[in-house]
Amino acid sequence: MITLSFRIAGGDFDSAGLAARKLKEQLSKLGVDASVLRRAMIAAYEAEMNVVIHARTGTLWARVDETKLDLEVADEGPGIPDVALALQEGWSTASEQARQMGFGAGLGLPNIRRSSDHFQIETRVGRGTRIRSTILFGTGSPSAAQAPVSAIPLMVDADRCRGCRRCIFACPVGAIRARDRRPVLREHLCIGCTACIEECPDSAFDIPRAPLPVVPADALLLAPRGLLAALFGIRPPEQVLSALRELGFTEVRLLEEWEESLLAEARREAAARELPLPRIPPLCPPITAVIESRFPSLIPNLCVFHSPAEAACEEFPLRPVFLVAACPGQYGECSRSSLTERLTVVSPAALKAAIRPLLDVQPAVRLPLGVAVPHRASPQPGELAASGARSVLRVLSRAETGALGRAALLELRFCAGGCSASPLLGSQPELTDMWQTVAVTAGVTPQVPAGVAARAMPFAQRPGLRLDAAMGEAIRKLSRIDGETRSLPGRDCGSCGAPSCAAFAEDVVMGRAARADCPFTENHR
Amino acid sequence: MKVEQLANAIEARLVVSSGPANPDILRVYGGATMSDLIANAGPGTLLITSLANVQLIRVAELMDVPGICLSDGKEPDADVVALAREAGAALLVSRASRENLCARAAQCLAAEKALPQ
Repeated sequence: MITLSFRIAGGDFDSAGLAARKLKEQLSKLGVDASVLRRAMIAAYEAEMNVVIHARTGTLWARVDETKLDLEVADEGPGIPDVALALQEGWSTASEQARQMGFGAGLGLPNIRRSSDHFQIETRVGRGTRIRSTILFGTGSPSAAQAPVSAIPLMVDADRCRGCRRCIFACPVGAIRARDRRPVLREHLCIGCTACIEECPDSAFDIPRAPLPVVPADALLLAPRGLLAALFGIRPPEQVLSALRELGFTEVRLLEEWEESLLAEARREAAARELPLPRIPPLCPPITAVIESRFPSLIPNLCVFHSPAEAACEEFPLRPVFLVAACPGQYGECSRSSLTERLTVVSPAALKAAIRPLLDVQPAVRLPLGVAVPHRASPQPGELAASGARSVLRVLSRAETGALGRAALLELRFCAGGCSASPLLGSQPELTDMWQTVAVTAGVTPQVPAGVAARAMPFAQRPGLRLDAAMGEAIRKLSRIDGETRSLPGRDCGSCGAPSCAAFAEDVVMGRAARADCPFTENHR
Repeated sequence: MKVEQLANAIEARLVVSSGPANPDILRVYGGATMSDLIANAGPGTLLITSLANVQLIRVAELMDVPGICLSDGKEPDADVVALAREAGAALLVSRASRENLCARAAQCLAAEKALPQ
């Protein structure tokens, strides 16, 4: 999938249409079919003009994958008091200036709707409007070029590694190999969890650690609760919250708020019993990734919503947002999302480094930021919560074989104890609980309540585990891997650099390793 | 029919000739609003309108329109002419009304279709 984004300035008729034109250039490069392009241009142009005519500012996003084009235009503007009326042909509130230029015919929204296979409009009076339009490529038409899936932002610092090989066994999906005593990531297998980060005694694994950039005015900090606990590990909460304000943040929101909203939505789905049970809300990006690659039969069980971090980012499309990522998966997912322009994803370490000097000076006046702490709804019967890689994988394989009986909802988190226990945060879950009591006394009601965001893209199987694009060839490779595995000693010793003999056999067949790397073969080098 | 031929036939003045592609005009569409024009424009369409502004040219460019005829004696300003040239769209002007131009252009295209190839 590829995401493109374009800014739109309200009231700027001279530049009106430029976002659509830039989009056209990009879509043409991707090889989008002419009829799709035509419909996309009508929808994009009309949506762009709506921003120019009615709003202060807005953004156009386009997401393309092999099957469809998703357009989304969000603006900060007056909103639409009566959507049904606005969708009627001929109804318009455009200014006289706009009408003289040929706009305001009241055909904009109807045109977008007609050009779309799926059309959705959300609006809040006084805040803004968001329009989503999906155009399916249909069968037979040449689809967009294959967009590369971004790699997981897991950094390996080979210089720190002392070659203990713990990581190759710690990785729950066998995505790490040791080559010349150094870890090498099989990126197509990595699900972005924190297992290797946690296991490594030399801190050789990390997410990108760019220093915190300058925080613009009115910036919002989105963070897992454990981050604050980690910061409070050093200083009293008021001091840390004042320092965050000094850094330039005007609001701090905890991602747990969106987790709760997503769980509530998943409970509704589970209660409705219309979709395959158990429902699995995409709370944790590595869980979603492991389902998409290892347990594809459970994809229909995933609730088709954005992850809490993505949903939170979507809630503030036009505000500068800083997200503190708790794992490589979350870092990758949010950096890839369409909101990159206004969104800065930072590592917990970068925020800690930025805040530390501020904690040492004593400001004349302390003005701590308030933080709302979400209320945790109590689990319902039929809900199963599991965390930690081993438990989660066991639960998923049981769910796959139907051995979970009447479970209605699975609340799964890859880090044992949830995001707050991520090794990147460096805090202890007990401290998180202490922090909760502190924050509840702060008593803040956020202006924008945490909601859920439906995914435009359905979840889909990841090609990571596919041995070959052609089914026949994949089958042949599989039988060769099988034969190769049987010829190996089966000790799973890791000497070859792979976590198991089966993984090594696959590497050999796929041409990623030489048979001679196994010390138990005759020609061992 | 090429846009130059059609300009001759409907007695419109050619301000900007077509770009290097110069595709055939297959149909004409007249409209008074941008939404109407964009919804009905296409790679073979000559647009006929009195909206002589840069937004119109942008619409034409987005929809790969080969030519535009400004009706009712509307004169394009320098920006519009430059943008049309950049977009590779032919620009015609005429004193006649939009309805009149549509009728005549449609007649020409129908006559061409009726001719044995």
